[in-house]
Amino acid sequence: MSICVNNLSCKIGRKEILKNISLEINVGEIIAILGPNGSGKSTLINTISGNLKKNSGEIIINKKKIEQINLKKQALIRATMSQSHKILYDFKSKEIIELGWIQFNSSNFSEALKKVSVECNILDLLEKNFSILSGGEQQRIHFARTLIQLYNDFRDEERYYFFDEPSSNLDLSHEMTLFKILKQKANESYGVLIALHDLNLAYNFADKIAILKKGKLVHYGTPEEVLNNKNLSEVYELPIRVNKDERMIKYY
Amino acid sequence: MNKSYFFNLKSKQKIIILVLIFTFLFSLITGFWNGSYDLEIIKFFKNELDNIQQFVLKKIRFPRVILAAFVGSSLALSGACLQGLFRNPLADPGLIGVSSGAALGAAFSIVLGSEIIVGGYLKTFLLPLSAILGSVVVIVLLSIITNGFKNSNITYIILAGIAINSLAGVGIGFLTYISDDAELRGLSFWSMGSFEGISWNLIIPSIIMILITTLWTLTFARKLDIIQLGENDAHRLGVNIRKLKINIIISSSIIVGVSTSLVGMIGFVGLVVPHLVRLLGGSNHNYLLIASILFGSSLMIIADLISRTIIQPAQLPVGLITSAIGAPFFLWLIYNMKRK
Repeated sequence: MSICVNNLSCKIGRKEILKNISLEINVGEIIAILGPNGSGKSTLINTISGNLKKNSGEIIINKKKIEQINLKKQALIRATMSQSHKILYDFKSKEIIELGWIQFNSSNFSEALKKVSVECNILDLLEKNFSILSGGEQQRIHFARTLIQLYNDFRDEERYYFFDEPSSNLDLSHEMTLFKILKQKANESYGVLIALHDLNLAYNFADKIAILKKGKLVHYGTPEEVLNNKNLSEVYELPIRVNKDERMIKYY
Repeated sequence: MNKSYFFNLKSKQKIIILVLIFTFLFSLITGFWNGSYDLEIIKFFKNELDNIQQFVLKKIRFPRVILAAFVGSSLALSGACLQGLFRNPLADPGLIGVSSGAALGAAFSIVLGSEIIVGGYLKTFLLPLSAILGSVVVIVLLSIITNGFKNSNITYIILAGIAINSLAGVGIGFLTYISDDAELRGLSFWSMGSFEGISWNLIIPSIIMILITTLWTLTFARKLDIIQLGENDAHRLGVNIRKLKINIIISSSIIVGVSTSLVGMIGFVGLVVPHLVRLLGGSNHNYLLIASILFGSSLMIIADLISRTIIQPAQLPVGLITSAIGAPFFLWLIYNMKRK
């Protein structure tokens, strides 16, 4: 079982943002979407999450077309973290995480909350007011909220996580923690799709890389196949060198 | 979404709600037994009240105080829902124009109602129905202007509200001008916002409508919490945004429309009460909605009591009292927003 995206095109207004994208998200895998600003990474995630209507092509989740799966069911099999936004009224961090707990019964929420807080190392933030947290702390709370969405008893089907630049505000150590959690989620046989800018993280953690440029999928494959001097230099229009021995990518 | 959500209040919030229930009962009793006509509680229970006293209590005080409770709860509840839906702290049925839409609708039926020939039973419903219609039109208009509330920027909605308020003012002014003496009398008494001249057969249908709509509105609590994450995230968590918006538009229009049709425009209750309730105990809507209902009805009963006792035996319009409390609070809110 997997998510299959076939020939997906998407327009916002008159502008075509995605052009004939095809890719597959398998459980147990991390797929990283790379690409310059405005290349369509967020639009791709929004479309697969059901927020945006596609113009043509199909999105098939666990052998069913996305249009045939109702909203509540979709929310039980995939969780999406978007680039974060402000929350107007005062909520405690714990309450924000609870909003992700859609299989609502109070009996086992506290258990799931404990698990996710230990995983994400946010125990000290739970009782704090969300709006006074720093940008990075807020991002970690949103990350935990996204994780807990799929900590439910719905195990009949394969489940997926989508992340849109989840570590944009995080320091190095928290970023590393986050990627280790993603790796672990893939090992627990979730499918993981992540849009990001850090080529080194993608190189080291992703099983597959998809590179978008101007709405087109220009490269798709394993990090070894895709990330090489020529491809990267072309996409980012900047001299880039891949050091395979140290698994490092350098830009000049 | 789930019934158990309502019992999942934090212990502090449970205490606040309990206190609010007692406050409500206290204001109810105070409202019943105070006023320009002297009544003694003990005599009522000893059954020693004379006929006039019985009449005052049962036919004048009871309906008036009970209606005040329902109107207060309606305004506060719709304020809480609109503030949640718009993610906008200034959303208030008065400020964004919903109340004046209802007022225009009601004015239409007062002035032009006599021209329309309808059956006697339908006639009692003409006023609330046209008021509801007026508030529906305003919310739909707001929804179009803000592109389905996507552009829920504070300034944007308030500006739209100003425009709508003055448009409705034009309409009401025009209707005042063309009305005859009897209609004018009805219109001006009604538009001052007052609980005068309330009787049981006038308010019972409205109370039933408000009660049913209120219970329905309470089921949106969890969805209103989730929409605080933004519409995209709420959609991904399984909330049908379109449906939620329509439901809240309908329910707010009904409760604000019905209330306005009976007592005229009463400002600031919808704005102030949810904010005070948030300050007391938190922003989760399962607590916020219930606490706003209790707080709003207590506040309105007390405001009405003040309005009918402060210059005895004459009465002040209750809208004056609520604005006197609400407007300074509104200024404080703006001051605070700037500091944030």
